Amino acid sequence: MMMNILAFCFASAEELPRASVELLAAARQLGDKLGDGKVQALLLGPGVEEYGETLVHRGADEVFTVSHPRLQYHEAEVVLGTLETAVQRLSPGVVLFPHDALGGDVGPRLAYRLGTGIITDCVGFESEDGLIRWLRPVYGGKAMAYMVAGGPMQLATIRSRAFEPLPADPGSQGEVQALEIDVDCIPSQVSFVEKIQEAVEGISLDQAQVIVSGGRGMGNAEGFSALGALAGVLGAAVGGSRPAADLGWVPHSRLVGQTGKIVAPNLYIAVAISGAPQHMAGAGSAKTIVAINKDEDAPIFKVAHIGVVGEWEKVIPALTAACKEVLNG
Amino acid sequence: MHIVVCLKQIIDPEIPPHIFHIDPIKRKQIRGKQALVISSFDEVALEVALQLRERVGGKVTIITIGGSEAVEALHTALAMGADEAILLSDPALDDSDSFGKAHILAAALRRLGEFDGVLCGRQAGDVELGLVGPFLAEEMGLPCVTLVANIEPGDGKVRLRRPIEDGYEILETSLPFLATVTNDESNVPRYASVRGIRAAMRRRIPVWSAADLGLNPAIVRPEAARIKLEELFIPKREMRCELIEGESGPEKGKRLALRLRELKLI
Repeated sequence: MMMNILAFCFASAEELPRASVELLAAARQLGDKLGDGKVQALLLGPGVEEYGETLVHRGADEVFTVSHPRLQYHEAEVVLGTLETAVQRLSPGVVLFPHDALGGDVGPRLAYRLGTGIITDCVGFESEDGLIRWLRPVYGGKAMAYMVAGGPMQLATIRSRAFEPLPADPGSQGEVQALEIDVDCIPSQVSFVEKIQEAVEGISLDQAQVIVSGGRGMGNAEGFSALGALAGVLGAAVGGSRPAADLGWVPHSRLVGQTGKIVAPNLYIAVAISGAPQHMAGAGSAKTIVAINKDEDAPIFKVAHIGVVGEWEKVIPALTAACKEVLNG
Repeated sequence: MHIVVCLKQIIDPEIPPHIFHIDPIKRKQIRGKQALVISSFDEVALEVALQLRERVGGKVTIITIGGSEAVEALHTALAMGADEAILLSDPALDDSDSFGKAHILAAALRRLGEFDGVLCGRQAGDVELGLVGPFLAEEMGLPCVTLVANIEPGDGKVRLRRPIEDGYEILETSLPFLATVTNDESNVPRYASVRGIRAAMRRRIPVWSAADLGLNPAIVRPEAARIKLEELFIPKREMRCELIEGESGPEKGKRLALRLRELKLI
């Protein structure tokens, strides 16, 4: 039986998110394992037609677009209704979603409507005779599980940064077509009132090549100004662990971890962070992890590449000064 | 306003990895001597419900699926300030998947009758699938908003505040509704007072069985599961950390800077 794999690619007019191209890389890899079937992208959003070709270059055999002003991030029910119609029409064997706010909302609800299983937050998979075993962290990352979804279709949400996007291949061929779906008639019981923007200070976690993060061991909010100074010298973004965010030392938008941001910088400097699995789920994809912690038995030293055992109050000012010197010299 | 909060009791997820053990045959964590706690996002959901009640009055009912040990979680929730608690307990309910759990909770909500809102944590602190909330909304046909941190009451509706990348957005929906709850600065769960715990311990908690709920066994029995955990294992991490040596903190800091430069990381 041919199993097409459909990737749910949601974009805004301004940008095609990295999640969409990561998802195509995952779909491609899964397609190769399953042997036959096409990789299809379902591209939804307001004014998104122009990304069709990009998705072909990034691994899609076919792209179906639905471009409509009602398809917004905060209109989950409209997105869900569109998705449901599209999936019924295309009847793929597998549907992949990014494991983000929208994917984690519409994915499970679509699964319920189709009466089919869904596995969330997947980081990998293996397959045998068309049966897919989805690999995902459980128990806050302390353990891993292979899970199986039963039912007429297989749905999964894919963790951010679990798959590297395929390099763009401008030579690849694929069909881009618009799907005719009456988006206007989809009812929604939830209405959007307003968006309240908060000033974002410094470099965003997503963009940063270097991230300096602090944990509970920073002791107080003032500790974070020392990290801010180091970040300033390195051109880095500042992040924090969940305890630091819960204590209000860094905004929740700066939370690195399983329920916050999942980041993949070149260099991640974890200061006074014990290294709980929930935090490492967010930081573990960094190419180099540096840990600074006064407790030599802290679990972070089991996952860090470079470690300094010492009090951050003593290490950070010297590190900051030396970095300044090295970078200016 | 009557808000129902769905809670799950789990083994304390904060325990360090060296005392975390699994049973690979049963594909579950081994409890050992570890404490049982309310899953943290469910505790946050209860906090949001209590804040909502403080503003408009009404009551907060908590429901959980579990064995007799789950009474402890309900006592804690009552001590935090919930008004009513119901335990959904039946050996027939053990090990049902997220479809089964949503079906059980939906049956309990129908038996409760009138309610204005249902809150669930965004995901449980053990298997962390994050499915029961959205499934329950679908089964009950309720408007569903996910990842909500705070709820403001209105006239026959609610405004839900949801943190996003660069701030937050406000959504509105009519009653009754379902929301899954995430945490932010505004909803750090309150502590249960010692007096509150003593008073709660004296409360008798109603227990509803599968028969009371009139469940469809084809959905709740484990063999019917459409979401199955096949294999559970603890990944081996073999990593050697290069330690920066030095006589003092400042010296180590300086050497770290030089090493990072050497590796072209800065």
